[in-house]
Amino acid sequence: MKKILYVALVALMLISCGQKSYQVPTAFEERQTQANIYPDYKDITIPENIAPLNFMVENVQGMVAVLKGQKGQELVVSGIDRIDMDTTAWRTLLKENAGGKVNVEVYTLEGEKWYKHASHSLSVAEPIDAYLSYRLIEPGYELYRQLGIYQRCLENFAQKPIYENNRSYDDGHNHCINCHNFQNYSTDRMLFHVRSNHGGTILINGDKATKIQIKDPNILAAGVYPSWHPTKNLICFSTNKTGQTFHMYHEEKIEVVDTDSDLLLYDADRNEIKNILSTDYFETFPCWTPTGDRLYFCAAYVPEVIGVPDSLRAQLITTNYEKIHYNLMSMPYDMEKDSFGTPEVVVDAAQNGKSVTFPRVSPDGKYVLYAEGDYGQFHIWHKSSDLWVKDLQADTCYALTAANSDDVDSYHSWSSNGRWIVFSTRRMDGNYTRPFIAYFGKDGKAHKAFCLPQRDPEHNVLLMKSYNVPELSKNAVKVSTKTLHDVVYNTEGETAKYVGQPRVTDAQTGATRK
Amino acid sequence: MKEKVALKEKKSLILPVLPILFVVLYVWSAWYYGDVLRMARERSFWVADAEQMEFLLSQEYGGLWYIGRMLMMLFRYPWLGGLVFAAMITWSTWCLGYAMRLTARWRWIQYLPAGAFLTWIAYEGVNVYFENEAGLIMGIPFCTTVILSIWAMMIASFSRKKSPAIITVPKDETPWQNRIQLIVLLLVFAIPEMLTEVYRPYVRVIAKMNVGVINNDWQGVIETARDNAELSYRPIAAHYAIALVNTNQICERLYDIRMDYDTLYIHRGDALSSTHAINLYQEDCDYHAGFVQTCIHHAMERVTMIGPNIHSMHLLTKCALLRGEWEVAKKYLRILSDVPFEKEFVEKYSAYLDNPSLIESDKEMASIRQLEPINDSFENVYPQPAFLGYNAMLTEGRSQRALFNSLAVCMYSKSMPAFMMRTQPLAGTLPPENISDALCLMSSKDPNVMKQFPQLNFRLQTLSSSINEMKPYMKDRAKYAKELFPRYKGYYPYYYFFGNLKATRKSPKDQNSSTAGVN
Repeated sequence: MKKILYVALVALMLISCGQKSYQVPTAFEERQTQANIYPDYKDITIPENIAPLNFMVENVQGMVAVLKGQKGQELVVSGIDRIDMDTTAWRTLLKENAGGKVNVEVYTLEGEKWYKHASHSLSVAEPIDAYLSYRLIEPGYELYRQLGIYQRCLENFAQKPIYENNRSYDDGHNHCINCHNFQNYSTDRMLFHVRSNHGGTILINGDKATKIQIKDPNILAAGVYPSWHPTKNLICFSTNKTGQTFHMYHEEKIEVVDTDSDLLLYDADRNEIKNILSTDYFETFPCWTPTGDRLYFCAAYVPEVIGVPDSLRAQLITTNYEKIHYNLMSMPYDMEKDSFGTPEVVVDAAQNGKSVTFPRVSPDGKYVLYAEGDYGQFHIWHKSSDLWVKDLQADTCYALTAANSDDVDSYHSWSSNGRWIVFSTRRMDGNYTRPFIAYFGKDGKAHKAFCLPQRDPEHNVLLMKSYNVPELSKNAVKVSTKTLHDVVYNTEGETAKYVGQPRVTDAQTGATRK
Repeated sequence: MKEKVALKEKKSLILPVLPILFVVLYVWSAWYYGDVLRMARERSFWVADAEQMEFLLSQEYGGLWYIGRMLMMLFRYPWLGGLVFAAMITWSTWCLGYAMRLTARWRWIQYLPAGAFLTWIAYEGVNVYFENEAGLIMGIPFCTTVILSIWAMMIASFSRKKSPAIITVPKDETPWQNRIQLIVLLLVFAIPEMLTEVYRPYVRVIAKMNVGVINNDWQGVIETARDNAELSYRPIAAHYAIALVNTNQICERLYDIRMDYDTLYIHRGDALSSTHAINLYQEDCDYHAGFVQTCIHHAMERVTMIGPNIHSMHLLTKCALLRGEWEVAKKYLRILSDVPFEKEFVEKYSAYLDNPSLIESDKEMASIRQLEPINDSFENVYPQPAFLGYNAMLTEGRSQRALFNSLAVCMYSKSMPAFMMRTQPLAGTLPPENISDALCLMSSKDPNVMKQFPQLNFRLQTLSSSINEMKPYMKDRAKYAKELFPRYKGYYPYYYFFGNLKATRKSPKDQNSSTAGVN
């Protein structure tokens, strides 16, 4: 009994050591510089409903943070080298100061002495959609093992799997999942692809799910990058022949290239598919406007591969990878007639020796957000990639300088109110993508971006997976993981019926005639 | 008469079997199989934080493998890991005997599970640290120990019978019963050892070389390879080549070991790895051949496939430092700082973050710098594996070492036109032994060779007589390759005609094409 008491006492001491708390120091030395907090949450604009922005300071023996709202509320938190704020107190503070500012004073204990650092502020702005979905996977490369699509509630730290692949290696069941997408920020309609074993595209409608197969001799390959029409049950997919190769002595590590790509339109009500653009250009990354009457996409013209058999294309593309530039294009869509108009160039990036990808139109239809890099289409591996917008009313393009970094800033999406953008960036360590959130002002300017908050601020250091494809949604996914598991594992999926023009292949060269 | 027999039995030598079991288990796990278990530890990963171990805990029996991996960390020092391993198995052996209420007559049965477990480990061979879950080795004994201890405690709680002694000889044992137990004990160790020595002779050798490469003990690696020169397995050749590259002997001593490459026992794998376990050495070969980015590629693939593992993370850290990617190097060091017994590594390389000039003065890293490519290209441009394919096509290097590596690869792959092209910078010198032999061999096809390398004339006579000796065997090279090896060990012309026939007949399948995809 005595031994048990001793063990309990030691455990209690250990627990209390881990939660060491301090009072706001009364004796301290002032520093003119701000505290070197991690993650960098200094002088940022945040949504009023965001989870606590816990942070840490390295090489200190104690720290205290005093958060003072403009309207007088105060929140004091302390820890050894990191703080873990109470979610309720934090939420109250932000709610009370919505539209205003919260001033953050940081005190650190270094040796025996307390230091007070120059304060920083948090501007509290409109709320963000409550849920963020993403895929967690090791950064890039060819193989995959454990991966999943998860949904994180931005108002707290709860993360739930939407779907995870098999946890243990199994030749008969190993599969990859990617490209999750929602219709109009709602989880009522969602999709993602399954590759390899149990392959197909999973369509989710409320709490039901079905598998479909998008394959036909008349289409290039399976559906890849999706965009769900905002009002109709139509999905525009790009269909890409994608490969990747590895640099041997370069600042970049991987180059992902398409050797061909087209655009498809899938009618989910009828389970029908057709080509909508299958030209000598490489068309990819479709995106509907919020009204659904126009489709944005990217296209590159690669004359070197026209008429070249598929077997030689990869080599040619790899050799010329730095010369491939994608423009931003758009074309009107007549919803009544189900027909597309003539494509037109929206941003002629190729002319400036640049390449744009992933257009995403703001919910108010005024801006197109895209990633611009020096070349190619898979900007998540290009350090030159930055976020840009095109102001469709003023017809001007500019970089979102305050939100961008020296490293990769790529895959991005809007919040449903158009005030926030979330995007993937490798700025933290150059290798692992992390979701960052930036305020997008009514003046069309983005503010400094901040990292998705985690309960343990060191989470992003310790996590050895990348966040892929961050997508915001207004509500939580309704379908259960079990339902998705059953559909993935136990259904073959009905093949979509091709209803477009037949595709022609050159009998002599094997190249596709378009 | 009965008294006489009893007296005789009393006088007979009678030994405490459990202590012997403990000692032999300790010797087996700390010394005999020590390197294998050390490598199982290096290919594993454990930190206390459950969130970081989620990849393991989310699997079936994840909790048990978590504990197994935790105990496996002790094999950083095999003497320490071996102690716990031996103690767990010895204790569970005693518990089994006690819980089953085995009388002295049947006590030999209690040693069978230990024997079965050791036999299974020996049977698994390199899978112990290649494809199996690392937590198995210590997880199974741990689980068994817990279950049997509880069982034994339950028995003890209602049994009045005295439990048999552990350290001394149980009082109820006769010499004959004791001898039976000793015979069973002998079998417990003899069977797995025989299995290892006869059917898996490469397991301990490869592991020893793995450990040697980790410790930069190049002389040890070379000696191990030469001591086992008749064993022909790709991982042995690869580690031997790494040691030779690091001691500048790649063009002198590569052919001191046989290179016909028998198959390893591997559960699964892709393309080359299914029979030759390329993943056992690929990252190390990339790294020591100067292909830092390719090493990152393959190390990351290993992390993806088997989860974080100490060895790959060491390489990823060093590669990040070599590339000046300070933040990611810091990240890996932070993660490793939570892994038991990694303090030394973390402290050493953390200092490099604060003072990058240490990278240039680091002997290992300086060696890699000399071999790094000059220009960028893509891995898939070259035959795989890239550390061979790139060097076979190398046209420009940073150092003479790069040239020698390229020549060594050309000779190894028997790409003689490419070899001849690359010998031009050596004209007029006396090249290393293997290169000289290869040049002599080529002189029969190109008389200009001797004009460029007149110092080699004296070797022609030897070559001519050797080829004459080899001629009768040329009609069936595969058949005579092994037989001739001892006679021509180290001699390039022998390798040219008889060595590595399977690989040079058909180039290895590009493993990247097997299951590759863009994620």
